[in-house]
Amino acid sequence: MKISGSYTVPANRERTYQLLQDPAVLAKCMPGTDHLDRVAEDEYEMKMKMAIASIGGLFIGKIRLADQNPPESFRLLVEGTGKIGFLKGEGLLNLIGQPQSTEVMYEGDVQVGGTIASVGQRLLDTTSKMIIKKFFEKLAEAAIE
Amino acid sequence: MIAQNFEYSAPANLSEALKLLADGEAKALAGGMSLIPLMKLRLATPGQLVDIGRIAGLSYVRQDGDAIRIGATTTHYEVQSSGLLRASCPLLAETADHIGDIQVRNRGTIGGSVAHADPAADYPAALLALEARVVLVSAKAEREMPIADFFVDTFTTALEPGELIREVVVPVEDKSAGTSYRKVAQPASGFAIVGIAARVRQSGGPSGKMIAFARIGVTGLAGKPYRAINVEQALEGTAGSPADIQKAAALVADGIEANSDLHASDAYRKHLAKVYTMRALAVASSRTA
Repeated sequence: MKISGSYTVPANRERTYQLLQDPAVLAKCMPGTDHLDRVAEDEYEMKMKMAIASIGGLFIGKIRLADQNPPESFRLLVEGTGKIGFLKGEGLLNLIGQPQSTEVMYEGDVQVGGTIASVGQRLLDTTSKMIIKKFFEKLAEAAIE
Repeated sequence: MIAQNFEYSAPANLSEALKLLADGEAKALAGGMSLIPLMKLRLATPGQLVDIGRIAGLSYVRQDGDAIRIGATTTHYEVQSSGLLRASCPLLAETADHIGDIQVRNRGTIGGSVAHADPAADYPAALLALEARVVLVSAKAEREMPIADFFVDTFTTALEPGELIREVVVPVEDKSAGTSYRKVAQPASGFAIVGIAARVRQSGGPSGKMIAFARIGVTGLAGKPYRAINVEQALEGTAGSPADIQKAAALVADGIEANSDLHASDAYRKHLAKVYTMRALAVASSRTA
């Protein structure tokens, strides 16, 4: 599944980039995640508790930051496995400075498998959009703190 | 597959049910048309189910002044076949005609459907167009809110943990109004790829008839159902000619990020939304008195 879009973060480009590289901020922005455990340089393990509709479950996953080109762009790699399925995604984030804010454009590819993918097709697109939206809403909150 | 073990209770009254749900851990079961399939697939694994389907006095359709109150466990079949709704709020009854199949309509409930907040469910389009209200209860309090505030996002509502929908409140439709629900159903599930609910009232002026009031509810198109206020405004005050309707309907997907899946791309969904808004408005207008 291809995903792409953009969100505006109320902070300058340097600060937005810095927020996106900060494991504490990332953990706060990911729905259902308490903290990230550093396992290597720019690589973290996480536990994500998801609850959407009646569907819920614990996902154990990894997140990796790569190809960093501050403060313009970096690559984000995410993978997670849970009882109801797995997901693997990769995306490129581009930061475009605006006078008062930063536009974060993302473009990537997500693969979802397991039960959730075989029976939940109809819901994957809307649900993933909602999770991304929540992430950026929290990021915007973190930016003005 | 067989669902994971869970505790089951079927309280006889609402206060007992609310007590069982109070800690937010237990899951309420109404008709089970969404929850049970998810449990059988083990996508949902609640440890405790509180069956509210056997509570007496939670299933009703009754008039209360200029409103009609519909109990949470009223089934889709009861909504579609209610004489009161057919006569005084035909949009909701017509919408219920389009839900799933007869088995689903016999078991599924209005409260369950609304609480589940599937972005492709049928009721939300009609309820938004009707500017309905929902009454929510918990062990501690009761509150009422407009349906537009209730739908927060995909599968996400304003329900707090431990809270239940007690009833849905819709207005008694003005006798002169014309209403219609038009939908493209996904062939396998019956869910709306796009569903449009329209309400129209006309007023007679010296220069002929004019659209005095329009309400449009949209489901299936976006992450959550919404009211197409821009279409309503574009239509109100016009003569409601086919050209007026076409011009207004063209705005229905403006600024909306449409869903895209293997059944319909975002561009196709937006196209369908425009066409079906035109059709819903045309039928609604033809039904005005």
